[in-house]
Amino acid sequence: MGRIVLENVTKSFGETQVIPPLDLTIEDGEFAVFVGPSGCGKSTLLRVIAGLEDCTSGKVFIDGEDMTQISPSKRGLAMVFQSYALYPHMTVRKNIAFPMRMAGMPEDEQNKRIEAAAASLNLTDYLDRKPGQLSGGQRQRVAIGRAIVRDPSAFLFDEPLSNLDAALRVGMRLEITEMHERMKTTMIYVTHDQVEAMTMANKIVVLQAGVIEQVGSPLELYHKPRNKFVAGFIGSPKMNLIEGAEAAKHDAHTIGIRPEHIEVSTTEGLWQGSVGVAERLGSDTFIHIHGVDGCDPMTVRASGDVEVRHGDTIYLTPDATQIHKFGADGLRME
Amino acid sequence: MSNRTLPRLLQSPAVLLLLVWMLVPLSMTLYFSFIRYVLNNLRRPEWTTPALSNWRGFGNYEFVLKSKDFLFAIQNSLLIVCSILFLTVILGVLIAVLINKSFPGQGIVRVLLISPFFVMPAVNAVLWINMILDPVLGLQGIAVAGLNEMVAGLREMPVLGGFFSLWPEFNPISFRATQTSAYAVIIMVTWQWTPFAILIFMTSLQSEDQQQKEAAILDGASTWSQFRFLTLPHLGRPIAIVVMIQAIFHLSLYAEIEIVSRGNGNKNLPYLIGEFANNNIGAASATGIFAVILANIVAIFLLRMIGKTLME
Repeated sequence: MGRIVLENVTKSFGETQVIPPLDLTIEDGEFAVFVGPSGCGKSTLLRVIAGLEDCTSGKVFIDGEDMTQISPSKRGLAMVFQSYALYPHMTVRKNIAFPMRMAGMPEDEQNKRIEAAAASLNLTDYLDRKPGQLSGGQRQRVAIGRAIVRDPSAFLFDEPLSNLDAALRVGMRLEITEMHERMKTTMIYVTHDQVEAMTMANKIVVLQAGVIEQVGSPLELYHKPRNKFVAGFIGSPKMNLIEGAEAAKHDAHTIGIRPEHIEVSTTEGLWQGSVGVAERLGSDTFIHIHGVDGCDPMTVRASGDVEVRHGDTIYLTPDATQIHKFGADGLRME
Repeated sequence: MSNRTLPRLLQSPAVLLLLVWMLVPLSMTLYFSFIRYVLNNLRRPEWTTPALSNWRGFGNYEFVLKSKDFLFAIQNSLLIVCSILFLTVILGVLIAVLINKSFPGQGIVRVLLISPFFVMPAVNAVLWINMILDPVLGLQGIAVAGLNEMVAGLREMPVLGGFFSLWPEFNPISFRATQTSAYAVIIMVTWQWTPFAILIFMTSLQSEDQQQKEAAILDGASTWSQFRFLTLPHLGRPIAIVVMIQAIFHLSLYAEIEIVSRGNGNKNLPYLIGEFANNNIGAASATGIFAVILANIVAIFLLRMIGKTLME
């Protein structure tokens, strides 16, 4: 069980309000990702749910119970921190045992759970080492192990992968997603990386300046961004937002077209521009194009071996069905 | 091989200087401890100059071992050092944890807490023994007199007076007496050195990882458990450092002992050496060698203990 409901939650530090009144429901078993730029209040929101920060007003319900005034340890949530927050002078075994020891669980039950967690996280060979002797990925797994043994109603992850190198991050991303599929426990995951959000979540919560911009499944957010901010934030490379005359043709203040929905040609097309930097990834080429009216530079995803050179003239044709229209208020127009 | 010669050559002046620095005094002490050497003796004037012809063998050592003050001085040295270490570490940890929280006036409180450390040892001793611990003129005398006066006043009370008249008169404690002067030294040195412990522990507490604490809170650790399982182990290294540095310093306490009681009933090894050195340099040297041995025993224990914490 782990249904988390936030009702009218606000958070202020002194005079500055970092989270204006906010409502959010996370259903039992969901993998929810809070994503947004740095300083958008996503970590604060997670800490409010964990109880590490008191909310200034509003209520936090976990499984229908009002937990607003309940101490963090009694909320039945486990958290994995960005810095791992392992206890440096304890062995891996003792680290994992710590929450059970604090709860006064019998020794043999503790050992059973430690063995099970260690086996599922490939830590069995490292149980008697200290955190200082482990690599970053192993430390992160110990932190997850420490969370698992508590058998929490929900897991909270606070940017757990940002201290890992790129290759390890992809691996751990898969492991955590796999873990969620297996355990079906509610997870809330905070990240600033929209790729992590897109690949892991059932439900993405996009935040900006403490305000929820949109909540939805990854593909919902991709296909129907509610406003310009979400449109620009979700998807990589970023959506091209075009203003001015070109947008007026579609009766909109701004139109958006994703790089993957633009056709490239050297001979003819709707828009004309000159090639700037071409980033070659092998499978794809991201071409930055200058000189298109209303959007400079415009990014286009072309095939991996497209023949373009810096300064070439290039023609672009957007896929008309994939154009997003936004009004002057930044909101999506249908 | 050859690529090591140059560095060794370059190091050698420093090493030589250090060796001379340590070896010359040590070997002179050793030499003096085996001969008869006094500063003033009218009957045997030849003893007043150090010479091999005055060889006494282990005579000086025997003399020191048999002197009534020697064992007492060693006991007292250990009592004073251990008590001070115990008190400063406990007080230091408690106060450091207390002032680690932010509160208004934090800066001033910290400066005030550190300030005893900047008082000269002799001044510290004079202040404490004369102005605070003195049974008549010190704060202690005034406080005890005031207490007695208050009790005397309470005796006049109509109903409870009978109860208070059962109370005895309070007597101030004389800290210059034989049994108590060591306590006076312990009190004043603890007062002076607790700030040192606080300073070291405070810097260490500030480097404590806050996320670890938050993780522990979520793991259900009480404030006590957080202190016991996170803060104390975190302080292990600084505690080892405080213990080591203070042990070295307090084995050689002198000024406080001189001022409190002039060694009356309260001597440590350095003070005993000082007493012998008034005339009998041979005996003083022998005591010095005993002090070196004692310091080495303490150092071995300490280094073992600290080595362990530092390895972790």
